[in-house]
Amino acid sequence: MSAALSERPVTEPRPEPGTDRPSPPKPALAPYLGLVLLAAAAASFFIWNWEGQAVLFLPLGDTVLWAPRDPLLGLGAMMLILVLCWRLRVSPMGAFGGLAIVVITYWAGSNIHFIDRIAEVPRRLTGGNTRDQLVGYFNPDWSYLLFQNVAGTSRPIWGEWLITLCMAVVATIIGCFIGLLLAMLASPVSSLNTGTSQTVKAINSVVRSIPDVGWALLFAAFLGGTAYGLGALAAVLALIMFNIGIVAKLLGESIDAIHPGPLEAADAAGATLVQRDRVAVLPAVMPSFISYSLYVFELNIRASAALGVVGVAGIGGELSRQIGRMSQGYENVGAILWALVLVVLMVDLLSLWIRRRLL
Amino acid sequence: MIKFEDVEVVYPNGFRGLSGINLEIHQGEFVAIIGLSGAGKSTLIRAVNGLVPYTHGTLSVGETVVDPKNKSKLRKLRSKVGMIFQQFNNVGRITVLNNVLIGRSAFTPTWRSLIGWYGHQDKEVAFQSLERVGIVEKAYNRAAALSGGQQQRVAIARVLAQDPEVILADEPVASLDPPTARKVLGDLRTIQRDLGITCVVNMHHLDLARDYADRIIGMRDGKVVFDGPTAEATDSVIAEVYQREVSAGDQLAPEAEVSSKEPG
Repeated sequence: MSAALSERPVTEPRPEPGTDRPSPPKPALAPYLGLVLLAAAAASFFIWNWEGQAVLFLPLGDTVLWAPRDPLLGLGAMMLILVLCWRLRVSPMGAFGGLAIVVITYWAGSNIHFIDRIAEVPRRLTGGNTRDQLVGYFNPDWSYLLFQNVAGTSRPIWGEWLITLCMAVVATIIGCFIGLLLAMLASPVSSLNTGTSQTVKAINSVVRSIPDVGWALLFAAFLGGTAYGLGALAAVLALIMFNIGIVAKLLGESIDAIHPGPLEAADAAGATLVQRDRVAVLPAVMPSFISYSLYVFELNIRASAALGVVGVAGIGGELSRQIGRMSQGYENVGAILWALVLVVLMVDLLSLWIRRRLL
Repeated sequence: MIKFEDVEVVYPNGFRGLSGINLEIHQGEFVAIIGLSGAGKSTLIRAVNGLVPYTHGTLSVGETVVDPKNKSKLRKLRSKVGMIFQQFNNVGRITVLNNVLIGRSAFTPTWRSLIGWYGHQDKEVAFQSLERVGIVEKAYNRAAALSGGQQQRVAIARVLAQDPEVILADEPVASLDPPTARKVLGDLRTIQRDLGITCVVNMHHLDLARDYADRIIGMRDGKVVFDGPTAEATDSVIAEVYQREVSAGDQLAPEAEVSSKEPG
């Protein structure tokens, strides 16, 4: 054995350091020429499809040519990205990706006339009552927020904030708990079998595909209105569905990615599926779960303002009432919006603090 | 104790992991399995507790025939067969004690596990296991905060908490530095001897196998090509198993000064 030890492998002579270092391989020219043709084809399609009015005048000697502005800008961007990719020696596949992003962005933007609309913004801001609105928003009526009651009731406005917070708390706790269970069932790592996992994933997709406002409208329709508008219940149920969708999706992906070793150890110790999920899966995803729950709580505060548009309880309801009477002044809406910024900021700081403490 | 009769493992992708294995491992033996990577060492060990289902032949542990298709029988079998892994496979974020209590899963009702309320008896077993591996003072530390050697001791304690008849160890010291590897393996050997547990261990390092095992099984291409007491596993025999000369690289620490007698 000691004889084997003394045998050192003979090292081959190495080249001098600093010489013969490899440089990134040059991409093939032919695929790039193909991409230029592709860009030209896309640009001709955009020119043919062009509906705008803006043109560019190109002085050419004593004649002046005009050309459609936007498709030419698009063509310029396409060529720019190809030249950039060529200089940086990006592979043809990477360059194709870059070109595709430019083409798709141009196509999407032109379909909604994005550049034309953006160009209108300065004119729109100077006309109409924008000035009054801005003045209103920046001079919020704090006394309204602090001392007045909701119109036609004896409930103070600030009390609506409390209701919003309470709705968010209830929805977060229930939604995240159900989301946790569904995430466990959705991930093939922790689920009973692939069939269950696929089914629950499909259900999760359906839950997620309906937006929070959609859920609020549905629940409001099912449950009917109350004396206080549509009430907090419809909003809380809507937020719960909204939270289940988010938590089940994100946490399910966290579970997919956990280290399989401890699961194997639990299996080898004869643990049942539920035991394994509890002792090996849950501790591994607990930080993510807490993080997602705090995030969802923040979302709930914000979402409950948007839910007001469909007339549910909380500050969102008051906001939509005030938007309805905006012709009488913008100071009240301004106060609510500024307070919303403040509250969301505070919740943000709070969750940051909790996250630091717990994780 | 563990009996392989013409056991074969064919993986779902068609790869033949084990073929024609006939082995009998006796009660209280410490068996080292050696062989190059891909020789089927892990497959052999994992077939015993059904982590890898065998596809042909009969494999039995004690009186029980391993039935990879019957989940509840498999769980019952696994409660008696502990397993240690190269990467320790502890749950990093929970305490050492809770990791050891995972070993009590098969003896704990599911609802108790669910709310994390283990009985006094189970905790007592867990503490005794931790005392045996010498890290009882770390019981309430997070498992991830321990060193590699300590983590593998936690894993051994988790297995001991099962009160096992058999311990399977898949490269248990391959992630540890040489002195620690020897200490941990020495402890495992002592515990195994004291409690009369049958132990099957996969190893890379020839010197460790020779220093600690009663019996060495050599594997190549999913077949047993050597089986005999440690004294018979000479360099020329091992060279036959490896199909090449034994070299210094097959040893963990060529001049080992740390002996198994040293306390953990």
